[in-house]
Parts: sequence; C-alpha cells; structure tokens
Amino acid sequence: MVNKKGSDITLNDSYLIRKPSIWEILSSEKYFKWMLALPLIVVLLVFMIYPLIFCLYKSFFQVSLSGNALFIGLQNYKTMLRDINFWIPLGRTFQVTVICIVAELLIGLGLGMLWNRDFKGQNIIRGLILMPLLVAPLILSIVWNFLLEYNIGFVNQMLAAIGLTRVKWWDPSGALYTICAITIWQWFPFSASVLLAGLKSLPKDVFEAAKVDGAKGWFVFRKLTLPMLSPLIIIITLLRTMWLIRLFDPLYGTTRGAVNTELLDWMVYRTSFVYFDIGYGSTLAIMSLFLTMIIGAIMFRQLIKTLNATS
Amino acid sequence: MQPVKTREGENLKNQGITFKRVLFWVITILVLVGILGPLLWIYLTAFKSSSDIFAGTLSRQLIFTPTLENFKRLFVQFPFFKSLGNTLIMSLGSTVLVLIVALPAAYSFARWNTGGGHILFNTIASRMFPGVVAAIPFFIVFRQINLLDTHIGIILLYMYFNVSFATFLLYGFFRDVPVELEQAAMIDGYGRFNIFRKVVLPLVLPGIATTSVFCIIWSWNEFLFSFLFSRKVATTVTVLISSFWGSIDVQYGTMAAGAAISILPTLIAAWFMQRYIVRGLTFGAVKG
Repeated sequence: MVNKKGSDITLNDSYLIRKPSIWEILSSEKYFKWMLALPLIVVLLVFMIYPLIFCLYKSFFQVSLSGNALFIGLQNYKTMLRDINFWIPLGRTFQVTVICIVAELLIGLGLGMLWNRDFKGQNIIRGLILMPLLVAPLILSIVWNFLLEYNIGFVNQMLAAIGLTRVKWWDPSGALYTICAITIWQWFPFSASVLLAGLKSLPKDVFEAAKVDGAKGWFVFRKLTLPMLSPLIIIITLLRTMWLIRLFDPLYGTTRGAVNTELLDWMVYRTSFVYFDIGYGSTLAIMSLFLTMIIGAIMFRQLIKTLNATS
Repeated sequence: MQPVKTREGENLKNQGITFKRVLFWVITILVLVGILGPLLWIYLTAFKSSSDIFAGTLSRQLIFTPTLENFKRLFVQFPFFKSLGNTLIMSLGSTVLVLIVALPAAYSFARWNTGGGHILFNTIASRMFPGVVAAIPFFIVFRQINLLDTHIGIILLYMYFNVSFATFLLYGFFRDVPVELEQAAMIDGYGRFNIFRKVVLPLVLPGIATTSVFCIIWSWNEFLFSFLFSRKVATTVTVLISSFWGSIDVQYGTMAAGAAISILPTLIAAWFMQRYIVRGLTFGAVKG
C-alpha cells in the first residue's frame, strides 16, 4: 500500500499501516500500568531515595556552619557509638513506644469489651470517643501542658480541691511519663475503635458453642477472643510503632526535649537544625532510619504471617 | 403465684444486672468526660479573661464572665488569618498533588499488582521514613533554589508526606471494585482510559473523598516541616500557635482562642467521618 500525498485513507487502513503513536504504546496493556505508577515512583525516588543518599553521603563528612565539608570517613559513626546523647534518647524512644502501645491496647481492649453490646446512644458514644484523634498533636500537647501546669493547671487544681497533693507533672523524673500519658490519651480511642469493630465482627456461633460447652469467661477470652483479635492487635502495634518512633510534636508543645524527655527524632532535629551540624546530624538520621527499618521489616513480616495464618 | 425462692433469686439477679449497668455507665461517662474535657476546656479558656485564666481557684476556672478579648488580640496582634489561609492553601494544594500522583498508582497496584507488591511495600515503608531525615537534604536544597519559606516548598513536602498514605488507602478502595465491571465495559468497547474515568472512578468516589479529607487533615495538623521550612511568609497555624508558648509571657488565652478555631475543622471532620476514621487510620486494613 502506497501512501500517496493527498489520497484519502480510511481510518482502518491507516491503523494497519502506520506505526502506533506514542499514546497508543503507552496505553497498551504492557505499559499502561507502569504509566500509571510512574508519578509515584518518581516522587518516591526524589523524596525518599535522594534524601537517603544525601544523608548517607554527608554522614562521612564534617560540615562546618559555613558549609565547608571535610571528609572524615567513619569518624561520625565512631562518635555516635560513644555518644551518650544518642543512646539515651534511643532508649527513651523504645520505652515510650512500649509504654504507649501496651497502655493503648489494654485500655482499648477493655473499652472494646465493655462497649461490645447494644446500649442506648452507642453510636453517639462511639462517635464522640473519636474526637481527639484528628486534632493536631502539637495543639493538644500545648493544651495538656497548660492543663498540667503546677499552680494554675486545671488538673492540679482539681486534685487540690478533692484534697490530694498537687503533682509535679513536668518533673525530670516523671515528665517522660506525662508525655506518654498525653499520647495515650489521644490514641487509646483508636485502638478501642479498631478492637470494638473487630469484636463486633467476630462470629457469634463460636461463642455460643463455647458457652454451651460450659467455658468460663476468662477461658473464652484467652482461647477464643484474643486469638481472633490478634491480627488487629498486630495491626495496631505496627501502626502505632510507626507513629510513636517518630514522636516529635508533643515534645515541642511541652518540654522541648528538656527534663529528660529528649527522643530520637528530637535529637536528630537538635543536632541538625539547632546546632546545624549537618554531618553528625546526617549520621544520627541514618541511624534513626536504619533502626526504624529493622523494626519495620520485622513487624511487616510478622503482620503478613499473621494475616496469612488467619485468612 | 411463683415460689418465693425463685423470686428472691430473680431479685438478686436483677440487682446484679442493675449494679453492672450502673458500673457500665459510670465507666462510659468517665471515659467520655476524660476525652471531651480537655477539648471543651480549650473552648472555655478561649472565652476567659487572663485574670480568670491565671486565677488560682477552681471556681474561677469554671465560672467566669465570657469575653472576646482573646480573639480580638489574636486577630489584631497576630497574623492569624494569614496563617490560617496559608494552612488552607497548603492543605488543599498538597492534597490535589497527592491525588494526581496516588490515584493512578493505586489503581495500577490494585488492578495489575504492578511491581509485584515491591513498590507498594516501599511506598508504605516511606511512611516510616523519619521526617527529619528528609528535612536535612531538603532544607539545603530548598535554600539553594529559594524554596524556603514558600507555599510551593511546603506543599511539595506535604505531598511527599501524604502520598504513601493516600496510595495505600486508595489501593484498598480500588480493590473493592469488581474486575468483572471493567471487563464488561471493555466488551462494550471502552478504552482503558474511559474505563477508569467512567466506570471505576465513580465507584471509588467515596474512597477519594475519604482520602482527600485525611490528607487535608494531616497537612492541616503538620508541624515539623512547616516549623522548619517557614519563617514569615509561609507560617502555618500550628507554627503560629506554638509561638504563643515559647515567648516570655505565656499567652494561654490567645493560644486557646487560636486552638479553638484551628481545631474546629478537624473536630467536625472527626464527627462526620466516623465510619471512615478507623479505615483511614489503619491504612485501609480494618474496615471499621
């Protein structure tokens, strides 16, 4: 077939002869899916891989305030290993993560069991407990900082009014636990809602059968309820670890890393943006990322295992 | 008519039930007061004069003459509306960008399992990526290309920080669309793009709405990036409110007034999105 200039070709004919256009190639079955995912891949490369490489690179340098970089090899890492200002916040971060998750799960499980029945106003109550979840953690922490103020704070005034002694909430020995409490306060509605949803969806006949067999409450809870809820408990643990390991806002709103409350990300922030030590800051950031990744990998594997086992 | 024994037994049982019911409501109400109290307290404090705020007595904390002086000071002395506007622009702008990136990608993962799950895994892993790790290089790059303290700079950071969440959440919604529908549309002669636009998109509209609201709220609440990357022009409302705290005289009243306004949208969203909150917060893993 010769394509003469000016001749009329029908659409079908032209389709047969000419090469497919770029648009046609890209929307073909083979490439279309990659086309769709491409923007995301670019974003991940730019916003994830680039900072990673940058920090890794800078971690081998001593960067002065004026920006001059001096290659010092592994010196930053050696410093870090001996730096008590790295290990203590790291330990505290684990402490906070464990305390918060355990408390949230226990309270959540308790409330889930309590509310797993039909009662008047159940929908309203379930809606109301979600209220703090979407409020900015920073603002809530500032508010709590005020509520827990020693002299004029509402909580201490209440305690004094009912004859108890005022508590030094921001004492160096207890401030970390106060921060835990604030975080737990904001997030226990999350675990309570998830577990309540889980309890509601459990098959009723299994429990009735257990009752017929004469199983007692605690036994049923341990052998039936808990195993059936375990995928949800793992999801909560996983997600909360992800958030808690990055805890930053509540620190800014309350102690700003003082009184023994400095956590992992706050330490990276302080080194990089207060002291502007980019080299050492990058080292700490890489370490923080590395530890997060290890925990993430373990937990994701566990999550997938549990989901496979139950489904 | 009934034997006495049984009636007594029933009475005892009823008492047990009544006691349990009372206990149930006591706990429930305590939990509700505990949760809602601090939030209500923000609104109370916002209308208190500073002499009432700093009064050392409980009665003046609870019973006081409402005043608008905190709001007046907030609006006149501080760039509150400007920062509220900034927050709004950044939240909406970043959410639009997030949807442009996440929507097609989520569809691709849900329909073709693109990348065999590895890309999706990396997407979710990026949510664990410490904000400060990204902040260091971007601070230096942004300084070089003059993006520090600009709306676009912060919008880009917010997009980065929401995109993994949005992709994952949308992925779940796309998976709920039956493949058969798309196959039927294909037989009817629809092209790929039209299937997406005319068949799939209308079905995931609730999912897109949920995802958008969550992205807007996360950006609305965001603090680390806006704190590090804004100075004067692009300050967000969280940064402004945090500044009431650190100064020498602590401005609790102004802070409460600012908080009262800025958390209102999130409270309203929490109430109207009840059904989707659990699903959103668990990245779609739990369909509450």
